[in-house]
Amino acid sequence: MMDTDVIAIRAEPVVSDTAEAAEDIAPVSRGTNESYLALVWRRLRHSRTGMFGLTLVALLILMAAFAEFIAPMDPNASSISFAAPQVPEFINGPGGFSLRPSVYALVESEQLDPVTFQPLLKPDLTKPQPLGFFVKGASYHVFGLLPAETHLLGSLDGSPVHFLGTDKLGRDIFSRCVYGARISLMIALTVVLIVTLVGTTVGIVSGYFGGAFDRWMQRFVEIVLAFPQLPLYLALTSLIPVTAPTHLFLAFLIAVVSALGWAQLSREVRGKTLALARIEYVRAAIAIGASDRRIMLQHILPNVMSHVIVSVTLAVPSIVLLESFLGFLGFAVKPPMISWGLMLQDTANYSVIGSYPWMMAPVGFVLITVFAFNALGDGLRDAIDPY
Amino acid sequence: MTTPLAPARRLDNKPGQPLLDVRDLAVSFKVEHGTVQAVRSVGFQLHRGETVAIVGESGSGKSVTARAVMGLLTDRATVAKASIIQFKGQDLLGLPERLRRKLRGDRISMIFQEPMSSLNPVYTIGDQIVEAIREHRRVSTAAAKREAIEWLEKVQLPEPAKRFSQYSHQLSGGQRQRVMIAMALVNKPDVLIADEPTTALDVTVQAQILELLRELQRQLGMAIILITHDLTIVRKFSDYVYVMQNGQVREHQATRQVFAKPQHAYTRMLLASEPSGHAKPLVEQAGRCILEARDLRVSFKIPVGGFFNRRSFEFVAVKDLSLLIRRHETVGLVGESGSGKTSFGQAVLRLLDTTQGEVLYDGQPIAHLNRQQMRPYRSRIQVVFQDPFSSLNPRMQIGQIIEEGLIVNGLGATREERKQRVREALVSAGMPPDVTTRFPHEFSGGQRQRVAIARAIALEPEFIVLDEPTSALDLSVQAQIIELLRRLQDERGLSYLFISHDLKVVRALCHRVIVMQSGCIVEQGPVEQVLHEPETEYTRTLVRAAFEVAA
Repeated sequence: MMDTDVIAIRAEPVVSDTAEAAEDIAPVSRGTNESYLALVWRRLRHSRTGMFGLTLVALLILMAAFAEFIAPMDPNASSISFAAPQVPEFINGPGGFSLRPSVYALVESEQLDPVTFQPLLKPDLTKPQPLGFFVKGASYHVFGLLPAETHLLGSLDGSPVHFLGTDKLGRDIFSRCVYGARISLMIALTVVLIVTLVGTTVGIVSGYFGGAFDRWMQRFVEIVLAFPQLPLYLALTSLIPVTAPTHLFLAFLIAVVSALGWAQLSREVRGKTLALARIEYVRAAIAIGASDRRIMLQHILPNVMSHVIVSVTLAVPSIVLLESFLGFLGFAVKPPMISWGLMLQDTANYSVIGSYPWMMAPVGFVLITVFAFNALGDGLRDAIDPY
Repeated sequence: MTTPLAPARRLDNKPGQPLLDVRDLAVSFKVEHGTVQAVRSVGFQLHRGETVAIVGESGSGKSVTARAVMGLLTDRATVAKASIIQFKGQDLLGLPERLRRKLRGDRISMIFQEPMSSLNPVYTIGDQIVEAIREHRRVSTAAAKREAIEWLEKVQLPEPAKRFSQYSHQLSGGQRQRVMIAMALVNKPDVLIADEPTTALDVTVQAQILELLRELQRQLGMAIILITHDLTIVRKFSDYVYVMQNGQVREHQATRQVFAKPQHAYTRMLLASEPSGHAKPLVEQAGRCILEARDLRVSFKIPVGGFFNRRSFEFVAVKDLSLLIRRHETVGLVGESGSGKTSFGQAVLRLLDTTQGEVLYDGQPIAHLNRQQMRPYRSRIQVVFQDPFSSLNPRMQIGQIIEEGLIVNGLGATREERKQRVREALVSAGMPPDVTTRFPHEFSGGQRQRVAIARAIALEPEFIVLDEPTSALDLSVQAQIIELLRRLQDERGLSYLFISHDLKVVRALCHRVIVMQSGCIVEQGPVEQVLHEPETEYTRTLVRAAFEVAA
């Protein structure tokens, strides 16, 4: 039945057979059918910055997820305070050489600093601590369940190593940075998730329905946008009693940052929705009787998604920056939690930066994160609209 | 194949050295996977004072050829080394960019298709013409201004002195195109390239603009390269024709010869695809009425003023329109842009709110139903839009697009049954049934329009509003879609409301025609009567513009 239909139509001399064939068959048989995701992935792969960003983001997230394994030390264990970073060396004992790199523990020498009269720290060259992969160290639980004590990198004999030095309480800065990624990224990703959900929903609903609802919604958005953000953050965070549990404080921080962040995205999504709501495929959907819900979910959402995804990847770094900034001011995360911003609080005075520049290490992590997400966002922006 | 691909000389043996001599022009574009040959080995000759037409459908490379001559190709384009574009004996491709810029807008000028976007909205039109003058000649601003006003007068813009200080949004489409022409001609170029100069304009305006171009050509003695897909324009305005397809010249001849004795199969096909034929006569002359509009009025509230003094005035798009469409009948609704024909169609579909009056569908009033109450009628009344590129959601597969209407209206009990109906609809619309998992971007304009038609007929409607379904399509594809619509009407007994500005298509498809002007019906009657013996001046102008072009 079907076949005869096809033949009947083909046989109908519309203009000329060749024209019909050229119009109908050629493009249909071209290429394979690719899903939207496959298309985006194919284009993203061609973007060098995008792929570099994606790799870095993946590494950062892995680092945060497996912080216990990757960090060589327990982030709360203390040894000598303000120890300089230990550089792996190939010198084994005085005058010796070995392929296996070693670090040397810092010990107080007899010399004093001529200015501060503090004992100077010197590497103890008599006791090399050879480094290795998958070494035993401080014990921990994988995801809070499996007990383990293997670390990716560390000294073979389990003695402390500080690749980025120690802070004023003698805690390993590198390990703390690795752990800090957890809270910093968690805050950023949660905030962005909330902001995206709220911003997209409000934007689509407001733009699609329009009218009085849209008018009042937009006035509200304008008020949120017009708020002086920093004083508000500071005022709101100081509302919380200092004795509040750290988790509550974290949740509050996320809530405040999200509450002020969704407005911008909702504005952008509303703008796109306004344009899409007048486009003909939406009118065609109304004409076949589709409900508003269906039109918003099936026709408008997929077409604003590209914009949303890009703005998500670009929003993550700004939240990471905001967290480090608030942390620096002491308004973000409270100890004993570890975040990059909180670590930077220790660098608040000049003498620390002058004498112990390695305390600035979290800045490097923030920079890498910001760059990684920006690069990914850049790549995605080009890849995400393949049509 | 009777003619070589790269014609080295013209077949009419025009004497003298050509003004513009293009040989072996090949342009390729870098795309994601390799390159695409947009133009291969194209050649043409242009003599002083004549008009050469380059004809072809979209994608034939005619615009790329023009842009190559102007030196306006994008960075992704590469012109092959062997290409030669000689202007007055000088190879343009060898010239440094600085010298080419001097030629552009001075000796060789160009006007574009879209007058809406080719004028800069933040400068007055006078400023833009003065800029074109002073860019190429050392003239004082005052002298340039005098000259600009003179030119605005030459292009027959009313009140040229006043227009000088106006912005482009204050002008109509036709007036903007006149400004573009003035801007292109102020330096009295030797060659004017007109890239679809009238495609975006109403038919009546189209005739005026072409007439103006011809008049100016007589005065200035320039040569015109006319790029178009419209054979009526070619026949009327050009001396020599190059027919292009897939980046190659298929045929070139003096215009009269092309129309009298087309050589190449493609040319013959192009000529044959002018809309032809008629709607099948109605079996029963007084069939049951399917749609009736009674004093239908559609108006928009246009807000004026700011936030605090918000006022609005009422713009009436459709003024108390009454019409009647019988079963199996096709009624054409014709008019220029702004005549309210599309607003009427959308009001019938309840995509626009009716201000006053009533629409009876099959005897039931539907004009004031809300979306929910309208549901039962949705599968009976369907629509096909003008632009197949925006009427299909780019993120949905063809199958999903067609199936959506079935899901929403609860048609087809199981998924399998719906799939079957989707496939049947595709076949009916002349598409292979196995394209359901593809995305719209994989198809050409004509194929997309077939999908849009499949979406409409999958619901098995009785009545379809066709809102300019063929005007975004190439001529040959247009003919196929008309054929398809006629066949579907026969097979399924559909009734159409056919909204169009193209009287040729209307003649080929409609039983009755209604002519609209600024929201009112000017004339109506059987299609042959209205087109052959128009009663009103407005209809006469429309008919003349459509069938003869030159008014």
